[in-house]
Amino acid sequence: MAQPLLQHLCQVLYDSPFGTSIRESDNAFSLIESVHVLSITLLVGSISVLDLRILGLILREIPVVRIARAVLPLTWAGFGVMFASGFLLFWAEAAKSYLNPAFRVKVVLLLLVGLNPLIFHTTVYRRVTEWEREHRSPWRARAAACASLLLWSSVIVAGRAIAYF
Amino acid sequence: MKFKFQVLPVAFALLLSSIPAYAHHSFAAEFDGSKPTRLVGKITRVEWTNPHSYFYVDVVDANGHTENWGCEGAGPGALSRRGWKKGDLKLGDTIVVDGYRAKDGSRLIDARRVTFPDGRSVYGGSPGDGGPGDNGTDQGNLPGAKKG
Repeated sequence: MAQPLLQHLCQVLYDSPFGTSIRESDNAFSLIESVHVLSITLLVGSISVLDLRILGLILREIPVVRIARAVLPLTWAGFGVMFASGFLLFWAEAAKSYLNPAFRVKVVLLLLVGLNPLIFHTTVYRRVTEWEREHRSPWRARAAACASLLLWSSVIVAGRAIAYF
Repeated sequence: MKFKFQVLPVAFALLLSSIPAYAHHSFAAEFDGSKPTRLVGKITRVEWTNPHSYFYVDVVDANGHTENWGCEGAGPGALSRRGWKKGDLKLGDTIVVDGYRAKDGSRLIDARRVTFPDGRSVYGGSPGDGGPGDNGTDQGNLPGAKKG
């Protein structure tokens, strides 16, 4: 094979009639971009509330679980729309995205930012009832909250940087 | 502590306002407004794409040497509104492109004014991108620009 399989797949997406129609559209592309940005604000805005609570910076009197129950459905909704709209944008530009260094960094960051809650929920969050009323959560929880804030910020910076390469 | 977290949203808003509204880059990210350039050449390739369009022209220099130049323009939506439709540029057409060179010295210009074979000229840039003449006119530092 002349080119890597991933690159080939990106080229197939790029050349597809659907990808081409988004890429060459008068308005669809910028509309999808707007939806993408809005869903990111929903995701990052809502998860940040939980992260800041775990760090003991806001809403200290409210137990962590209560905040998590209120916030996580919004976070997941934001994630779903963000992923779908992001995939449409990728579909339109896949062959270029594949070669874009900022896009590659963003994909790695997205994998890391997905790993973080996976570790959090299978470890320290299992015993959340023991510490949910504490103003300052255990260090493992605080580390996860810091990682979440840092990684999501980095995802946004990397995503924004795609346009500059 | 309270004061600190009242400042955060303001700082965040300031940060956001410094980011262009759409996912295309600003003029200054790629181009040098002090290097106006005119290209006259034959179209070899057209990419009618979001968020920026690209077209490529073969330019013959004084020594008869042919070089292929890339020209970057606004996206399909913005160009369509200015009366430039997808099929208007045809392979082999000779066009005049006035714009500014890429900062990295590559053979790429930001196409601010494109003149078609029929003499019609269209503003090709992105309004508000911070480049010369970014108010949607084709003026700025280009040759033949009206001063004042």
